[in-house]
Amino acid sequence: MTKVRDATAPRPQGTDYQPVFVGQTLERLHQILTRYPTKQAALLPALWLVQEAHGWISDRHMAEVAEVLGLTPAYVKGVVTFYTMYHQHPVGKNFVQVCTTSPCNVCGAEDVVRAFLEHTGAKDLGATSPDGRWTVIEVECLGACGFATPVLINDDFIESVTPERVPELVRKYG
Amino acid sequence: MGYPHKPHPKETPVLSRYFGEADARSYKGWVKRGGYEAWEQARTMAPAAITELVKESGLRGRGGAGFPTGLKWSFMPREKKAPHYLCVNADESEPGTFKDREILRWTPHQLLEGTAIAARAIQAEVAYIYIRGEFTEPWAVMEQALAEAERAGVFGDLKIYLHRGAGAYICGEETALMNSIEGKRGNPRIKPPFPAAAGLFGMPTTINNVETLAAVPHIVKRGAAWYKAMSLASPKSTGTKLFSVCGQVAKPGNYEVVMGFPLKDLLYELCGGMRPGRTLKAVIPGGSSVPILTREEAETTLLDYEGCAEKGTMLGSGGVIVFDDSADLVYQIMRLAQFYAHESCAQCTQCREGTAWTTKILRRILAGQGKPSDLDLLLDLADNMTGKTICVLSDSCAAPVVSGIKKFRNEFEDYIAGRKRPVAAA
Amino acid sequence: MPDDLVTLTIDDVAISVPKGTLVIEAAKQAGVLVPHYCYHPGLPVAGVCRMCLVEVEKAPKLQIACATPVAEGMVVRTQSPEAKRARQGVLELLLINHPLDCPICDQAGECELQDFVFQEGRPGTRYAEYPKRFNPVEDFGPDVLYVPNRCILCTRCVRFMEDVAGQPVLNVSERGDRAYIGIHPAARLDHPWAGNVVDLCPVGSLLSKDFLHKARAWELDKTPSVCTGCSQGCNVTLDTRDNVVVRVRPRPNLEVNRYFICDHGRLEYRWMNRGDRVEAPLVTQPGHGYRAVDWDEAFDRAREILGGARGRAVTLASPRASTEALYLARRLLAGFAWTGAVRVVVGEEAPLPGVPNLALRAERAPNLRGAELLGYHRDWTRALEAAADAAIVLVLDDATAPVRATGKVVYLGTVMPETGVRAPDLVLPIANAAEEEGTFVNRDGRVQRYFQARTAPGMARPAWWVLGELLAAASGGDAPGSAAAAFDLLAAEVPAFRELSYRALGMTGRLVADPTATTAGARA
Repeated sequence: MTKVRDATAPRPQGTDYQPVFVGQTLERLHQILTRYPTKQAALLPALWLVQEAHGWISDRHMAEVAEVLGLTPAYVKGVVTFYTMYHQHPVGKNFVQVCTTSPCNVCGAEDVVRAFLEHTGAKDLGATSPDGRWTVIEVECLGACGFATPVLINDDFIESVTPERVPELVRKYG
Repeated sequence: MGYPHKPHPKETPVLSRYFGEADARSYKGWVKRGGYEAWEQARTMAPAAITELVKESGLRGRGGAGFPTGLKWSFMPREKKAPHYLCVNADESEPGTFKDREILRWTPHQLLEGTAIAARAIQAEVAYIYIRGEFTEPWAVMEQALAEAERAGVFGDLKIYLHRGAGAYICGEETALMNSIEGKRGNPRIKPPFPAAAGLFGMPTTINNVETLAAVPHIVKRGAAWYKAMSLASPKSTGTKLFSVCGQVAKPGNYEVVMGFPLKDLLYELCGGMRPGRTLKAVIPGGSSVPILTREEAETTLLDYEGCAEKGTMLGSGGVIVFDDSADLVYQIMRLAQFYAHESCAQCTQCREGTAWTTKILRRILAGQGKPSDLDLLLDLADNMTGKTICVLSDSCAAPVVSGIKKFRNEFEDYIAGRKRPVAAA
Repeated sequence: MPDDLVTLTIDDVAISVPKGTLVIEAAKQAGVLVPHYCYHPGLPVAGVCRMCLVEVEKAPKLQIACATPVAEGMVVRTQSPEAKRARQGVLELLLINHPLDCPICDQAGECELQDFVFQEGRPGTRYAEYPKRFNPVEDFGPDVLYVPNRCILCTRCVRFMEDVAGQPVLNVSERGDRAYIGIHPAARLDHPWAGNVVDLCPVGSLLSKDFLHKARAWELDKTPSVCTGCSQGCNVTLDTRDNVVVRVRPRPNLEVNRYFICDHGRLEYRWMNRGDRVEAPLVTQPGHGYRAVDWDEAFDRAREILGGARGRAVTLASPRASTEALYLARRLLAGFAWTGAVRVVVGEEAPLPGVPNLALRAERAPNLRGAELLGYHRDWTRALEAAADAAIVLVLDDATAPVRATGKVVYLGTVMPETGVRAPDLVLPIANAAEEEGTFVNRDGRVQRYFQARTAPGMARPAWWVLGELLAAASGGDAPGSAAAAFDLLAAEVPAFRELSYRALGMTGRLVADPTATTAGARA
């Protein structure tokens, strides 16, 4: 017969894995846990901590988060894949999100996207430029429709971006 | 960063009064402006009395549904047997809407004060402010304001926490938001149970929109009668409302006017009309989820819950999306359908499959491969997607499609008949 | 009418059901099956497939029958034009990305998508011009394959693993029409009860590797039975194709296993199809080994053996023997100083956390309790010692019992005893549990019937028949002509069974008298 295996126990996947939840990050997580009556509620904040520390969230990281919060890796993966801001693979040093939903679209947002793809050298949506510095994606509504076109570069929210402004922005973040 | 416009004389800046004043963001600056007086006043009131006052004011939820706020609060158990929670919905993500963002980043304490008062009214000891993940700047502002207010000991035993979303439109739906706080996929829950019976962590919960709560301190301070008196048309719609005007208009931005304000005046006077050489074609008045209005309809619409309903649309969140005569409505409707297809949580069949199929049909029409029967198919599909799912995301996808085909059928037919050059959808 | 009953009308049929009943369950009682996918009575309500939309009078819109509790005076219409149109709409949407590969799909013929589309779906598709969503097949676990293309995202499997198995190794991944059932790469769907996801899947998306391409659903004959895997007594259905057992599935019994069986019970069935069977009675012929004989001669020989012996008799029985056979075996030896034992194999216990009192039990012995109620014990070693110098040793379906007897050995079995043990003086071919009718008593004292799923080979007969004939031959009187008659004989004599009749056992069984007593009934 098959044996019950504790699904929460991550399987070893090589030894070069650097756990995220150590030292200060672990302390921050403990602080976050005080805000909620369940450990599971700290899942989104914990994933943010992983992304902050590592840039993206690998399957192994999901297993670590699961272990720390008493969840299963599969459960964590289901949640990670629901939220579009969690990266499931590495992205460029500068991650550009251009809103192209209708209110911005009608104001020329797709031209802004094209300008970013061209000036960053990323070429294709979601692809990272050869120098590893840029990844450009289209996103759905950033909630700043009156300031078309809003663009998120990493954590910087930039309003009223036009194709003409793009070269300057690309230089600034380089 | 700067607030783009000085209030127009026809505006009634209550919530937006301090937009643009950087000093208003600090605790000191807020107190200097009379901040937290309403909270101090509310602390002397019985919870039921606060609820009664808000009921009396006629304040209705500003997130989209327009449910009477005081009534919602009154659904919470009077006798507290378990923890009560307040959720603040700062997941503003309805296309066309960007009013909460301004409240968060200019007047964080206005929201915190409203949050504290509401928490007292519903006897909640914990409030979570759920801020969408993309709102990096509002998050930073709120975090600092909360820290300052806490240092000043403003809230007593009440705990207020910020919770960051991670990219999901549907988390603006109230039960999806609760699931998201609980560390789950942001799936809307079947109701009943309603949040007041079993909400966040299964406990009695009230959830309010940012703008709704921002209005509460003003009502406490200046009275229900004052608020209720602000009404230009239907007495069922009271107070001021922030309208986020965007799209193809001369001066987009947030405009605060009294309920019942004519949409025509908002567009042509406050927003400076169309861009040079352009004429108005269509308006979506309440965020992307509501039916489109034609120019004629828009120019005679009064902006309140009833005025919009009269035109077969909804006030929604007050996100006014403007299209001028250069807009390709087929393309824009496709783009909206694509938005909903992207954001569907995947639970309900009609939504998961219907939003995606709708998008595909629209893309094909744009590509010049549409068939005359596609329009009936879209309408039939939309009917199948309306009123049949857990939440209204699928209805929201259907609304612009149905109203678009009904009111601008010729634009679709031009593509189908080959009278218009096909466009490749990006 | 009692307060806790609610009266409502479903499709013009008035029914009264307990308060809190869901409309979908009330409808079943009114004889109406509301089409559904995500709903399953053994799982928490999800309300996501939206297939069970029905019209409820006075409700502003259609309601899902799976999440709507009944109300007094409620009027439900499942066949209103609006409800039918809504369900047709759901079916159309479920099909747009469904591959329609029914000809090669294991589920075809027992597929709820196929059934409901046939019943009330559109005759054609309006999605002809678009490619269908494609994802490759995934290996989820030891016995489960996932075919995402066929998946309708009902989430039954996810809810089973999370809420019933308590081991959430499956998830819904991604959103919108990109969604699929996911698993973490480091995890396996290897819970001891994982196989239930295959039964729960309403379409052919989760498949059993064991059953893969074995049969088309319409080729299967279905027989209600009781699992022989352990002492839990889970109710099962044996699926046979051309007299071969090809699949074991759970049969609902809310008192025992609800809707589930474990993988051990599910996959341990090959012995039922063994080909190396004893097909005729065999008698020893000095110098020539065994000789196949007819039953009359076999019974004559048995009478000689039994009639010529005095003193001690020992029965060594398999716990898979029916209660009827165990009873008759004991009664046959009533004239002797008798000892009886069953051999109990012990394995690892594997509970299903979401269902109280449900586990793969350590005792892999389906009729251990029945044997104990009839005076058998489980001290196998002691019984073997006793057998060594007993006048008569009756072996009941245990081919590997290491019998070292100086007396006579009568062996009733399905296969020849293993070489190296004392060769029996008489070998009587019997049917196995899939080939006969009978009862088992589970660990909680529930007497449950199992039915004949396949024919026994050659001259093999149910053990109760063989023993009944032997008894009649030895003591005169009539042999029981059926399992029912054999059971009624035992019920008349053994106190624990006294209140029971074979007929009253029905499909879900009845408890013996004083079921909490560890051992009851007559002592030898």
